[in-house]
Amino acid sequence: MNASNGQPLLQLKNIDTAYGPIQVHFDLNLHVHAGEIVCLLGGNASGKSTTMKVILGLVQPLRGTVLFDGRAITGLPTPQIVRLGIGSVPEARRIFAQMTVRENLLMGAYHRKDRRAIAEDYERMLALFPRLKERLHQRGGTLSGGEQQMLAIARALMGRPRLICMDEPTMGLSPLYVDRVLALIQQINAQGYTIFMVEQNAHLALQIAHRGYVLQNGRIVMEGSAQALLNDPEIQDAYLGEKQ
Amino acid sequence: MESFLRTFSDQTINGLVIGNIYAFIAVGLALIFGVGNLINFAHGSVFMVGAYVGWICMTWWNLPLAVAFVVVALVCALVGMAIERFALYPLRGAPPIAPLLATIGVSFMIDQAVQLLFSRNPHAFPNPLIEHRFQVGGVTVSAIDLLIAGVGVATALTLYAFLRFTRWGWALRATAQDREAALQMGVNVNAVNRMTFAIAAALGGIAGLLVGMYFNTVYPTMSFQATFKGFAAVVLGGLGNVPGAVLGGLLLGLIESYGVAIFGATYRNLFAFVILIAVLVWRPNGLFSLRPRVAQEPLTGTFIAKGRPVPTPKWLIATLIGVAFVLPILVPNPYLLQILTNAWLLGMVALSVTLVTGTAGQTSLGQAGFMAIGAYASALLVLRLGWPFELSMIAAAFISAILGTLLVFPAFRLRAAYIAIATLAIGEIVNQVILNWEGLTQGAMGIAGLPPPSLLGWQMIRPHEIYYFSLALLCLAALVQWRLVRSPLGRTWRSLREDEIAAQAFGVNLNRYKTLAFGVAAWIAGLSGAVTGHMYTYISHETFTNTTSILALTMVILGGMGNLLGAIVGAVTLTALPEVFRGLADYRYLVYGLTLLLVIRFRPQGLLGTD
Ligand SMILES: Nc1ncnc2c1ncn2[C@@H]1O[C@H](COP(=O)(O)OP(=O)(O)OP(=O)(O)O)[C@@H](O)[C@H]1O
Ligand SMILES: [Mg+2]
Repeated sequence: MNASNGQPLLQLKNIDTAYGPIQVHFDLNLHVHAGEIVCLLGGNASGKSTTMKVILGLVQPLRGTVLFDGRAITGLPTPQIVRLGIGSVPEARRIFAQMTVRENLLMGAYHRKDRRAIAEDYERMLALFPRLKERLHQRGGTLSGGEQQMLAIARALMGRPRLICMDEPTMGLSPLYVDRVLALIQQINAQGYTIFMVEQNAHLALQIAHRGYVLQNGRIVMEGSAQALLNDPEIQDAYLGEKQ
Repeated sequence: MESFLRTFSDQTINGLVIGNIYAFIAVGLALIFGVGNLINFAHGSVFMVGAYVGWICMTWWNLPLAVAFVVVALVCALVGMAIERFALYPLRGAPPIAPLLATIGVSFMIDQAVQLLFSRNPHAFPNPLIEHRFQVGGVTVSAIDLLIAGVGVATALTLYAFLRFTRWGWALRATAQDREAALQMGVNVNAVNRMTFAIAAALGGIAGLLVGMYFNTVYPTMSFQATFKGFAAVVLGGLGNVPGAVLGGLLLGLIESYGVAIFGATYRNLFAFVILIAVLVWRPNGLFSLRPRVAQEPLTGTFIAKGRPVPTPKWLIATLIGVAFVLPILVPNPYLLQILTNAWLLGMVALSVTLVTGTAGQTSLGQAGFMAIGAYASALLVLRLGWPFELSMIAAAFISAILGTLLVFPAFRLRAAYIAIATLAIGEIVNQVILNWEGLTQGAMGIAGLPPPSLLGWQMIRPHEIYYFSLALLCLAALVQWRLVRSPLGRTWRSLREDEIAAQAFGVNLNRYKTLAFGVAAWIAGLSGAVTGHMYTYISHETFTNTTSILALTMVILGGMGNLLGAIVGAVTLTALPEVFRGLADYRYLVYGLTLLLVIRFRPQGLLGTD
């Protein structure tokens, strides 16, 4: 796992973003190397989800570039970005509520053409997520929150992405599921998936991440290894003090 | 008893067959609403195109029926894709009311184009099937009934299989459920949107072909009726719900069929409009949905774009009024004066639209209904009770204000797109009631021999007389409205427009202020209708149609929503434009539709800016 040398897999350079007159990002810079788990920490409305949307091409930045594997992807339509290998576990999961679990999973591989490999991946997902296997023909909307989160992650994996963007994957889950999801993220990272995740709960995220960034009012105010951030007194005050 | 049962079962078959056709139309509307969150007013126009293409295939080219079906489906799919590509795709990102209005513009253009190509008159559509009637268990069924049922079932199964088992079908469903999530799966939602239009249009076109064959005729006005029957069916089934749309279509067909059997054929169209409003008001999620699914939020707002009003100094307005008053002296051309008189009277209607839609934020497509109430009220007061015109005109305005507001009242809880449909339906209901209440209105015959407007014994017969009278009324209406809009009342109206929930939280009684807005607007529109009726000397249920309502809204959009001067400028422009370019007079609605499309696309805040 080469965490510091070589070309990053994902790089955001000097990103400014705004919704109409309201600017959200101010000169945002960050990068993710292949094989890493990197987390972006920040409070409510600090612009975390917007960062994800910029990467996925759902929101266009005013200035700056997003590089994926050295190639500028800013301005590309979302489907094309997805095809280049960026998978997404969106905020609030966004499962297709009226489609079955099976259909949801296969939607994750929508942009792929290799039928045989898709079938293999499908079997792998069922092995990895026995809960989903039991509920294959149930509608996505009938699953519990934790099950939906599992489905969202499995759906993203079905796309065989080179980078998975996760927006608050533990939000609203019971403590039991929070642990499961974190363990799962670590597990898939160990299988070689690179992960960029957004979290409000710094304590949880830093347990599994290699590195982290802290976003405050649209600016990166701190960055470093997960260990360094965990031990940083400011972080402890601002994010870890009262939580957990 | 025997014969009653026979009639009943015949009506049932009849209702199911017509309902089958409504289901075709409704499924297309439901697909488009589901995927694009759009209420497509151009759907009936595509349906009509299908009917005409089918008619061409069968009567000009003598193609076999099966081939005609394929040609109709293909041509209509192309038309649907063209509508999406050229009218709607450029508006992505605009507020939802923009594409809705664009589809109205498209429907104007298609309808007029068909009229120009094939004339307004109906064409006979020969029935290609054997004229055989089968007796099945005491029920009479004709070959065409069986054909429609067969096509219906086959199409439903195909559509089901498509949505359920194909890649594109999955993409469509995923996009309908969550557009942004679908994008993140790599679905090209723009392509899905276009495909949805193609499918919906093909279904609509096939429905048109079937209707043409069933009633043995095609005619241009079948378009609007189809749109509305489709709306009613889709609302019955729950917007965006495809199986619901099928059930809604069948149910509507049955209701109409039984209703006609009980009340008579002229009532046919009334049922759809009444159902539409009743369901929108009392069960906005349709009859078959258990949980609420209507997305309230994205459908609010009447402004296509905000823009400051273009500054208009007092001297400019004074000069314009001055010019308008000396014009008959400078240019005593009766033709010009007549056109401008129309512009003044329509200008009043535009003022009334800009009040409810621009200032108070309630998109109204029913303003012609208020005109009709005013015109009939005045006509009846003068002709039946012998009232003088001065009095009847004022009374008519109040009657329009009261009746109009009562009619719209149940729809007060609806918002932007829904209230637009509801008001359009109310306008139609007014005309349907006029058509059917023969004792009062002389029904389809209309009322002839209205005396011209008069004032204290002065009869306004010459063009400049009625010109001055209507100009004075317009100025008066504008002045009163201007005072109202600048008063605290106006501020409250604007707070409704900006955010109803917030306004309510600040203690604004929504119903009271909507009542006031619609009351004042219906008063002005009713007054205009009364004068217009006496000027025409003849009125019928076809004098003040939804076309007038849509035209008035187009004027307001052209001038700038909520902008009083804009409403008048829009009225003058749209009334005069087709006349100035004489060659355009035949293309009037093409011009209106195109204007609507261009303004929405390139100057959404209107010529003079929103206010
Ligand atoms: N579509 C939008 N239009 C306008 N403003 C938006 C939009 N989406 C987000 N914002 C605003 O941008 C800011 C950043 O939002 P963002 O969703 O990126 O924050 P976040 O850090 O993900 O917050 P949360 O913890 O609530 O998920 C917020 O102030 C939000 O109100
Ligand atoms: Mg967020």
